Amino acid sequence: MKKKLGALLTGVAVTASLLAGCGSSNANDPNTITFWTPLTGDDGAYMDNLVKEYNATNPAIKVKHVVTSDMYTKISTVLSSGKGVPDLAIIHADRVPGYVKQKQLEPMTTVMQAQPELKEANFLPQAWGAGNIDGTQYTIPLDIHSNVMYYNKDLLKKYGAESFLDDHNVTIDELLSLKGKLPADEYAVNDALMGWVLLGQIQNLGGDIQQDGKPAVNTPVMKQAIEDIKKINDAGLMTPFGEDGYLMFQSGKVLFSTDGTWSSTAHAKVEGLNFGVTNVYSASADKFTNRASSHMFAMFNNEKRTDEKEKGVASFLEFIRSHSVEWAKAGQIPASKEVVESADFKNYMQSFFTSDEKEIKSLYIYTYEYYPYIAEAVDKYVGDLIRGNVPIDETLQTMQKEVEDKIAESGGAAAKTDK
Amino acid sequence: MSNSVMDLDKSALAVSRKRAKISVSQIVAYVFLGLLCVIWIIPVVFGITTSFRSQTEVVSTGFRLLPVNWIMDNYTAILENTSTAPIMRWLMNSIIIATSHTLLVVIVISITGYGYSRMQFKGRNIMFFTLLGISFFPGVVNLIPSYKIIDALGWVNTSWAMIIPGLAGMGNIFLVRQFMMGIPKDLDESAKVDGASHFRIYFSVILPLIKPVLIVCALFSFTGSWNDFLWPVIVYTDVDKMPVTAGLLLLQDIYGNYRMIGQLMGSAILAIIPTLALFLFAQKYFVQSINLNSGIKG
Amino acid sequence: MKKKLNLAPAFFVGPHLILFLVFVVIPTIYGIYVSFTQWNLAGSPNWVGFSNYSTILFDTSSTFHTQFFNGLKNTLLFVLFTVPPLIILPLAIAVALSHKKVKGKTFIQSVLYVPGLISISASALIFTLIFNKQLGITGNVFGSTIAWATHQPYAWITIIILTIWGGVGGNMIIYRASISGVSEELYESAELDGAGSIRKFFSITLPSINFPLIFTFVMTTAGAFNVFGQPLMMTDGGPQQSTSVLMMYIRQLAFGSGESIAGMASAMAVLLGLVILVISALQYYVMNRNSN
Repeated sequence: MKKKLGALLTGVAVTASLLAGCGSSNANDPNTITFWTPLTGDDGAYMDNLVKEYNATNPAIKVKHVVTSDMYTKISTVLSSGKGVPDLAIIHADRVPGYVKQKQLEPMTTVMQAQPELKEANFLPQAWGAGNIDGTQYTIPLDIHSNVMYYNKDLLKKYGAESFLDDHNVTIDELLSLKGKLPADEYAVNDALMGWVLLGQIQNLGGDIQQDGKPAVNTPVMKQAIEDIKKINDAGLMTPFGEDGYLMFQSGKVLFSTDGTWSSTAHAKVEGLNFGVTNVYSASADKFTNRASSHMFAMFNNEKRTDEKEKGVASFLEFIRSHSVEWAKAGQIPASKEVVESADFKNYMQSFFTSDEKEIKSLYIYTYEYYPYIAEAVDKYVGDLIRGNVPIDETLQTMQKEVEDKIAESGGAAAKTDK
Repeated sequence: MSNSVMDLDKSALAVSRKRAKISVSQIVAYVFLGLLCVIWIIPVVFGITTSFRSQTEVVSTGFRLLPVNWIMDNYTAILENTSTAPIMRWLMNSIIIATSHTLLVVIVISITGYGYSRMQFKGRNIMFFTLLGISFFPGVVNLIPSYKIIDALGWVNTSWAMIIPGLAGMGNIFLVRQFMMGIPKDLDESAKVDGASHFRIYFSVILPLIKPVLIVCALFSFTGSWNDFLWPVIVYTDVDKMPVTAGLLLLQDIYGNYRMIGQLMGSAILAIIPTLALFLFAQKYFVQSINLNSGIKG
Repeated sequence: MKKKLNLAPAFFVGPHLILFLVFVVIPTIYGIYVSFTQWNLAGSPNWVGFSNYSTILFDTSSTFHTQFFNGLKNTLLFVLFTVPPLIILPLAIAVALSHKKVKGKTFIQSVLYVPGLISISASALIFTLIFNKQLGITGNVFGSTIAWATHQPYAWITIIILTIWGGVGGNMIIYRASISGVSEELYESAELDGAGSIRKFFSITLPSINFPLIFTFVMTTAGAFNVFGQPLMMTDGGPQQSTSVLMMYIRQLAFGSGESIAGMASAMAVLLGLVILVISALQYYVMNRNSN
């Protein structure tokens, strides 16, 4: 018995020393740009390819791409300890105002000075604008990823719905015209990304989610948007509540799927699914909106980031600006005008959304600083709202209150940060 | 002669009675366990077979327990992506982490459990239950200070961050303590009379007796350490150093919950093979019955 | 001599105590401190005294009050629905497996243990597919036409089934280990007295495994109070937030997509901790007293 324990302890000691051997890494290597992204899955691999291509050009400072599956929590931890803050990161557009308010982001001023082509004129306007807070540019956009509507070509033909597509605006009324024409197990549209769809309708109906900086959830426009979408449900044309509309589209049981640009890669892997992409259906005959977001390059405050490194970041971002057609493979719309105007990009399905000015304008990014709270409330209630499971007026009041309460709480915390 | 006939009769009767009685409870046991096994295994089989299905087949309507076309694509996709996802390396890291953690847990919990159950000191039970109570507080924002502590110790991006903090857990100590309290007091009293030290009693009296429960705890610790995915995501930035559960998260897509269902299943199945192997190996030992008398001599 | 006696316990419980102070007590105290502040995880926390607690407990118009009590109610329902089966079922399995004439024990045991090894995201996906009307068992084999995740009581049923399926293995092996430790002689002498299986279970097995029983009951309950993975993945808290458990609200407040509301989240976590503490203390007290 004693021998066993001895062996056990030796074992522990040996493993321990082995582990000590592979000790901590050089987190702040002056010759490497540490670059964090939340791009898991295939997206990470496409970004890896871009980073590899860049490093192959033998830049003065190479980029090390680190994918993290829970990046925002990780960012919180490193910012709180002040060590191991990455030199460069990709964050989502709706996070920008929050981080800027907390004074966590470094402006892109020196980066833009180092590479003059990193300027507003070279990027899609809404992507660039989402990184601009009170005249200061905090981020450089990588892409726009948007809510879009896929359609099943075979089903559209079968039910004579191809004409819906002609003006690129599939209206709710057009969808409603399918009532009674579909068999019991087929549906006109699914409910994937419903929160995004609803927020797009707000724009179609001429509304907004804020008024003078105050959140505006409980508004007549919001109510109308909900009621309009609800009509599709009430006509029995929407996939039933709680069923996986995404998978049902892939099974060929749904004509239209309101999903994201990124899903095209997965749809393409389903044999026999003959699909195309168009704008998300609209409650209005003259306007369509695809609620969008953007992956943006940002630099969190880090005293150890030298000027040389910022120059390195600049040349990396310039490389991305001119080479990000690789990123289109992930299904996304690169934010660089040079790339979206290139012939290569035309081969990708999502180039539909940059085909003309009207399409580009349809990609709408919310930049309201409390947008995340509104999106959380919308996502929580939208399913029950459009299915008629909850009274609309009362629920909108609850949502409005929920957003206001959260803002009040975060305001108290922010007041302290400012000191 | 007549006597022996009678004996035979009697024993035959006894045997038949015994057999009849056993078969009722035996049937009950079999039916119950059989039913459970069927219910339990269907989702497992479905999960495994889904990892051999194409996305096309996953989304085709109708339920089929077995795939129509068995494909390996999901596994090749996982295993081929060695630059961003060095899965073999992750498995190796996990084995080192989980094994070292488990060995240390067994030592810590048996020693500590002994202290809280077989030793007398002032405030022993109050102290134990205070610690247990504290450990019941759900940690949410605790993540931030926990990270700062690991950072201060210089353990960020090292296996220590995975091996050591878990040793502070109270669950296994609670279990070991409960078991140790069930061991009759006179066992160590008599050893004490023989002049044995606490360490000697711990080592040669108590330890052999709680071997099954230590194996259970070892199994839990190994599995727990293996399956932890919240913490490693925070403490590792180096892909090559990650344990497998955290690493596999990098293969999943960020949008929605899933895009490629078969791949997610495949990676989940690859990740359980080592823990399953350990269970198959360990299950011989934790049901080993212990003879209390031989325990003392051992 | 006396000094030596006092040092021995320090040697036995001391190392763990140090680990516990560093890795549990300090973070927990920090968490409690944060519950008295407004904090967005950045900058320094802003002390507000008991304000978070009074909002959560007494301000009936506040979202945080509504969320806390709805979350707590749903968490309690989860505990009530899952803890009894997670004790009784594994116990029944362990007893059945301890039957001398049952063959294939290792196989049965493995089948029942494996689900606990599968990651929560993968097992939730398996059950989402199984409960899917078009693709799964409930629709195609049993002809159910309901979308389980969005209709009660089915939403709860999916969560409970997933939890029990994944959870019996752990307690089962604790009971297996405990029952195997019960002396054979006890059973043999009971058999001589003509005791049947049921009587043997109640008069020998149950009293002999009393300590592990207390342990599993307390720990299973405490674990159930911390639930969030199963409802998050199976129903996303719906329909109408009827399966939104407290941990889901807490996590969204602290690590949601908006600016963190960590102070409020911490206060909710502390209150949840107190509930767990009271309930597990009661369980321990009652069960321990009954056993003596």
